[in-house]
Amino acid sequence: MSITDLTSMAGSQTQLRIEINKRLSNLQNETSDYCFQCAKCTSGCEAHKLLELEPHKIVALLKKGLIDEMVNSDIIWTCIGCYKCWERCPQKVAPVQILYTLKNMAVANGKQIPGKYTSMLQSILSIGLIQDIQEAPTYDNKTKKRDALGLPPLSKPTDPQKFQMNLTKIAVEKI
Amino acid sequence: MSKIGVFICHCGTNISSTVDVEELTKYAKQLNQVVVSKNYKYMCSENGAKLIRDSIKKHNLTSIVIAACSPRMHEHTFRKVAEEAGLNPFNVEIANIREQCSWVHDDMKSATEKAEALIRAAVAKAQLLEPLKKTKISVTPKAMVIGGGIAGIQASLNLAEEGFQVYLVEKEPSIGGRMAQLDKTFPTLDCSSCILTPKMMEVLNHPKIELLTYSEIIDVNGTIGNYKVKIRKKPRYIDTDKCTGCGECANACRMKNRIPNEFDMKLGKRSAVYIPFPQAIPLKYTIDPNNCLMLTRGKCGDKPACKEACTQNAIDFNQKEENIEKEVGAIIVATGYDLMDPSAIHEYGYTKSKDIITTLELERLINSSGPTSGEILRPSDQKKPRSITFILCVGSRDETQHPWCCRIGCMTALKHVYLLKEKLGEDVEINICYTDIRSYGKGYEEFYRKIRGITKTNFFRGRPSEVRNMQDHLKIDIFDTMTNKLFEIKTDMVVLVPALLPRSDTAELAKKLHISQSIDGFLLEAHPKLRPMDTSTDGIFIAGCCQGPKDIQDTVSHASGAAAQATVLLSKKELEIEPLIAVVNEDTCSGCGICVSVCSYNAIELIKKEKNGKEVLQAKVNEALCKGCGLCSSACPSGSIQQQGFKDKQLLPMIDEIL
Repeated sequence: MSITDLTSMAGSQTQLRIEINKRLSNLQNETSDYCFQCAKCTSGCEAHKLLELEPHKIVALLKKGLIDEMVNSDIIWTCIGCYKCWERCPQKVAPVQILYTLKNMAVANGKQIPGKYTSMLQSILSIGLIQDIQEAPTYDNKTKKRDALGLPPLSKPTDPQKFQMNLTKIAVEKI
Repeated sequence: MSKIGVFICHCGTNISSTVDVEELTKYAKQLNQVVVSKNYKYMCSENGAKLIRDSIKKHNLTSIVIAACSPRMHEHTFRKVAEEAGLNPFNVEIANIREQCSWVHDDMKSATEKAEALIRAAVAKAQLLEPLKKTKISVTPKAMVIGGGIAGIQASLNLAEEGFQVYLVEKEPSIGGRMAQLDKTFPTLDCSSCILTPKMMEVLNHPKIELLTYSEIIDVNGTIGNYKVKIRKKPRYIDTDKCTGCGECANACRMKNRIPNEFDMKLGKRSAVYIPFPQAIPLKYTIDPNNCLMLTRGKCGDKPACKEACTQNAIDFNQKEENIEKEVGAIIVATGYDLMDPSAIHEYGYTKSKDIITTLELERLINSSGPTSGEILRPSDQKKPRSITFILCVGSRDETQHPWCCRIGCMTALKHVYLLKEKLGEDVEINICYTDIRSYGKGYEEFYRKIRGITKTNFFRGRPSEVRNMQDHLKIDIFDTMTNKLFEIKTDMVVLVPALLPRSDTAELAKKLHISQSIDGFLLEAHPKLRPMDTSTDGIFIAGCCQGPKDIQDTVSHASGAAAQATVLLSKKELEIEPLIAVVNEDTCSGCGICVSVCSYNAIELIKKEKNGKEVLQAKVNEALCKGCGLCSSACPSGSIQQQGFKDKQLLPMIDEIL
């Protein structure tokens, strides 16, 4: 007995799927098995409009055990981590956490990280932020300075070297 | 010295596949005072019963132990078998080796060992069982129905037709319930009030039904066959004998068209003196104490306008609430449902736009006696909408809100498509965002097909992530899993189909009636398949949506079923009650009263008694009220109050045997 995707001839990676679900159960409320494909996640996905990420499809592929297909795909790197999919899911499934897990697996497998990610990583290591944001976009696409919105300036690590060391340690442990 | 028989059931293979029944039979045979031990494939079958009966007679058994399923299942069956063979029915002890053994274990050796322990304990108790006598009580041949919606109406009419006196209690000023708020019913598109109002009239005119509207249950006492119910009749501030329902008072009221009408889901306005809807039964006006100027401020112009206008002199501001008591043999609870407040799912913006409404609000907009006289107008600007979008499963099938299916949402939305197309023309665009369409009832699937065939009706399989208010329209992004595409819907109105919930005061009522709620808050039936109208409290039945979401046809069937169950009880002159109740040892009771304070059923009282020439207090159990829950006997510091069939001296040896 087996399940095969006739387009790619890939088989279902049942064991890996169980392992991923186990890893996810520490992070999310419910396993992806509860997903009934209502696609509320994709309806609200910020990465879908520009980058065609379909979180509900990620969940569907995980449920079918087609994991390598996702780990090797560039699409997993398009998630912007807004967490809307997890917050609004009626079945408490967390596509965003699945994507983090897949990204971690890709890194562990030695897969090439998209270029932008490397620069973001550099930025995080030096200032703790993806980028040095001092301006914030509003709903109607205007850009406003943080202080104009009454927001405090973003804080930065006081001891960059120590910060970098600890962050690297956590990252290695996670993967 | 007792003579005990042990009878071990295979329950097909339910027990015998995990428990070695042959081994168990041999084991039981050598236990103290056991004279016969047998096993059989189905002990509850007629052959099994015969085996037990014959053994009782042949061996002159004094007690029997049945090792089988839970006593909840077949204790009654085996008591009857014992009685048929001339044994006292309370000399039967059940060892539950199915639910508590074979079903929950898979290792045969240890499961058999556990079954042995359970039988050992049951035999120990069987040695100490005492014959008990059932007592008889009379039955009050009257019923009370709580809730005047379609379920309560149906149940009342059924009972009244059987000849029983019925008290129908409704907390609102009129009966009719949710069904009265609906415009049409699916799938036949019958006009809801056209089929409901004749039944309401029948209730009003039936000589065996006493209507207690604008009334609430305060307190319920008693037991099966004899309940005493205290009811609070709220003051209407109207003499209902004089009021003719002419409506002059409402016309004259200074608050006219200023108070949101709850019946219209607050979309329409009413006066402070009002009837909820034109076909109200009884057609008697009510003064709303929270909004009447006279009742809130003690002053309404120079003279209360309603009083001036009433030609019958029916207005009475001095009316007080009245508490009455009714005695009944059975109670049917039919309190219905509430819709979930969709503002709980903030991304759907219910509070952000007037044009995002619920199905019940749409129902009132469509209804010709509603706030717009049946014209579909967008609440924000009173213009005719050209596009309406439905979102199904709002808060249903949702682990963050309510996990259950509302069972009526799909069909309600499909019905509305038809009605909206009829009122606004085929040209109006209707979008339906659904997770599944559940059209399971008779004629429902056919209705769904009919709706799919209507032009400009778009189905999207998916849930929108949010509804955005764009001032002159609403915007929805939805990923349709049928086409695998993300769509943007611009629409004039959004109709949310919210989850169905038990009425908000269900917990309070359940407590008064000593009945249980299931985990979802609906009232709990005695058995989900076989006793869906009964509750765990004998003589109290449930009908309609208070038990769980239902459409009208299921509600009516359920209500007739509940009425039939009540009839079975009410048609008996006398009832036998189980003697498994608490008894007081008068020699040792010190009258401390702890038992009185723990009893949930007010079944124990302290009475004055003469003892050794002194007047002392002692506990006394009311046999008709005691449910045999055992709280008193576990609370009694001196062990002076004991439950028959579960006395300490019977239970402690069981524990010894198991340990």
